[in-house]
Amino acid sequence: MAKSNSKRKMQSKSTYLGTIQDVIGTSVSVSLGNEALSGLTYVDGEGYRIGQIGSFVKIPIGYIDLFGIVTQVGSSAAPEKHDKNQVNGNRWLTIQLIGEGQRNGNFERGISQYPTIGDEVHLVSESDLKRIYGQPDKPYFVKIGHIAGSESISALVDVNKLITRHSAVVGTTGSGKSTTVASLLSALSNSKNYPSARIIILDIHGEYSHAFRGQANIFKVNADNRNQENELYIPFWALNFDELMQVSFGDFSNEKDRSALLERMLSYKEKTISVYPKKGVSKETLSVDSPIPFSLSQLWFDLWNEVFFTYYSDGGKKPVRENWAFEKDKDNRDIVGDAAKAIPPRFKPVKNVASDPEKIQYGTSTLNIRGQLETLGSKFRIPRYDFLFHPGEYSPDLDGKVVKDLDSFIGVLLRVLYEGLFWSRRLSQGGRHRPLLVVMEEAHNYLNENFKGIASNVVQRIVKEGRKYGIGAMIVSQRPSEINSTILSQCGTFFALRLANVTDRGHISGVLPDNLDGLTSMLPILRTGEAIIIGESVKLPMRTIIEAPPKDKRPDSQDPIVYDEKPTEDSLQPGGWGIPMEPNPNFEEFLEVWRAQNPLPSKVFKGEGKIKTLTKKKES
Amino acid sequence: MNRIPVDSSNISSIGFDEDSNTLEVEFRSGAIYQYFDVPLAVYQDFLDSPSKGQYYAQHIKGYYRFVKV
Repeated sequence: MAKSNSKRKMQSKSTYLGTIQDVIGTSVSVSLGNEALSGLTYVDGEGYRIGQIGSFVKIPIGYIDLFGIVTQVGSSAAPEKHDKNQVNGNRWLTIQLIGEGQRNGNFERGISQYPTIGDEVHLVSESDLKRIYGQPDKPYFVKIGHIAGSESISALVDVNKLITRHSAVVGTTGSGKSTTVASLLSALSNSKNYPSARIIILDIHGEYSHAFRGQANIFKVNADNRNQENELYIPFWALNFDELMQVSFGDFSNEKDRSALLERMLSYKEKTISVYPKKGVSKETLSVDSPIPFSLSQLWFDLWNEVFFTYYSDGGKKPVRENWAFEKDKDNRDIVGDAAKAIPPRFKPVKNVASDPEKIQYGTSTLNIRGQLETLGSKFRIPRYDFLFHPGEYSPDLDGKVVKDLDSFIGVLLRVLYEGLFWSRRLSQGGRHRPLLVVMEEAHNYLNENFKGIASNVVQRIVKEGRKYGIGAMIVSQRPSEINSTILSQCGTFFALRLANVTDRGHISGVLPDNLDGLTSMLPILRTGEAIIIGESVKLPMRTIIEAPPKDKRPDSQDPIVYDEKPTEDSLQPGGWGIPMEPNPNFEEFLEVWRAQNPLPSKVFKGEGKIKTLTKKKES
Repeated sequence: MNRIPVDSSNISSIGFDEDSNTLEVEFRSGAIYQYFDVPLAVYQDFLDSPSKGQYYAQHIKGYYRFVKV
C-alpha cells in the first residue's frame, strides 16, 4: 500500500509525463498520462511543452535517475502489435536512453540498469538541467553559449576531452560554422584561463587572420608585414624521404631509381653533417629521414647532368666530364647551367653522320628519371613552391589556389608538427605537457575518401595516435560526407550545425559517438548559430545557441557579394552587381596577377604614404 | 600606409599616397582596400566631405579599380 501511495505522490508531481510500457534495448515506449493532456505544464512557475522532439526526460528508479531524449511522439511511437484503440488516444513517446544521474547530481553516460514497465517518466526541468550541465566554476570547462531554450544555463565543454579526443564541426555553409569555431577558439585562447594554450589553425581561406590578429601569430605564404603576418616556410629537408619525393620528384617507375635517389640524398645529408655537425645525429645514426639540411637543387643538378649528358665519342673518347657535349651560348661558352638558380645545363643532341667526324653519343646513366628531373626543375621555378623549395623569396598565396598542392602542403605541415611533438613528448615543450590543438578548416578538401595524399595519412595518424602525444584535431567541414569515415569516426565530440544534405546527415549519424537518431533528425531545422553538441566533452548531448564572438573577432565571411543588403552609404563592401563599372575598364592588374600567380599586384602601395601638396583647409 | 581616422558609420580610416595616387580605405569591418589612380583632389574632397559613406558611394565606388590588401 505504501508503494502505491508514494506512486500516487510522484504522479501528482507537475513533471510527470507518463508511464513506461515497453523497453527494447535503449529505446523505451511511454504512454502519456491523463494528467499531461494539455501539452503544456508548469514546473516551478516555468512553462514546459510536453513531448518536444529532442527534449530530455528522466526516469527515476531507486537512487538514480535515468536520462533519455524524446525521439518520437504520437501514434507511430506506440509499440508494435499494440491495440491502437485506446481510451486516451495514441499518446505515446519514444525515448532513447543516454545516461544516468546519481541523486547528488553527478551525471554519467551509459546506464547501469534498465527501466521497466510501470516506471514513471518525468520532464527534465531547468533545475535538473542545471544539475547535469552546470559546473561553471571549473576552469577546464569552457563556455561557448547557452542551452537552447534555457538562457540561464551555460553550454560548457570539457577542454580535456575536447582536445585529446578530437572533435568535428560540421554544418552547411551559412549555418554558423566559422562563428562556432571562432567562439570556441576565442574561449580556448583566453590567456587568463589558458596561458599556455597551443592552437594551430589551418586557415585555407584566410578567414580567421582578422579575428585573431593580436592573439595569434599568422604565418602565410606571401605574407604582408603590415598585417603582422610572418612568412610561412616549410623547409623541404624537414620532410621524410617519401614525402619529399612525393612533392619533388614524383613517383618512380621502378625501385632501382628510388633507391638510387635515396642513396644520393643520404650522401648529401652526410656531407652536411660532416661539415656542420649537429647535435642528436652522427654519421652512424643518420638516416635519409633525418631532418638535416642539404641542397636539393644541387642534388637535382647533379642528377640532371648524369642523366641527360651527351659526349663527344669520336676517336674513342670516354664519357668523362671534359668530353661532355654542352651547347654553346652566343658568346661560344658552354651552357653549363646553374644549380642554385635551377637552370639546367644544355647538351647537344646525339650525332652520328658518316660525313661528319664529330660524333656525339648519349651518356651512360642507367637511371630512368628524366621525367621526374624535368618536373622538379620546373617546380623549382614555379613560385607556388617557393615556401618549400626557396624559403625566403617571392612566393605565392596559398588561399585555396590549387587543391592538389594544398593537400601536400597541409600534409607536410602536419607531418613536421607531428614528428616534432612525437619526439619531444618527454620535454616541457612537447605535446604531452603542452598539448596542441590543430584546427583543420575546409577539411573535406584534403581529407576526402578517395584521396591517398600525405594529408590524409598524417591526419589519420594524428587522429588515431595523436592523443598519446598530445595532439588533438578539430575537423571543420561543410561536406562531412566527403571526409574519410575512419577519420570522422575517431572524433569524440561533434558540433553539428544545420545540415540539410541527406548524405551528409547520414554520414554524421553513422559516426556519432551517441546513437541518437532523434537528435540527428533535428539537424536540418537548426537555426543559424545553433548546434547540437554530442560526445565526450559534454555530459549530455546539448542543443546549444553558440554565443557569437564580438564583431571584430568574427571570421570574415567568404561569400562573394552579389548585391549588398545594406544601403550604399553604410555598405562595407566596395563591389557587387549593384555598383556601376569603372568608366574605362582596365585589366592591367588582372593580367599581372594572373601571370605572376600572386593575388597582390605590384602596384599595391606598401610605404607610409606621402602627400606633398598642401592639403586644403578643412571646411567646417 | 598611414591613414587618418574618420568619423563614419562604415569607414574607419583613409590614407593616400601622392606619388602612386593610391587611396587606401579601411572599413569598420577591418578590411582594407587600395584604390588605384585616384587624383589627390578626390582624396581631399573625400576627407572634407561631411558624410564619408556617401562620398565614397558616389565618387569612388565604381570609378576606380581596387584591390583588397
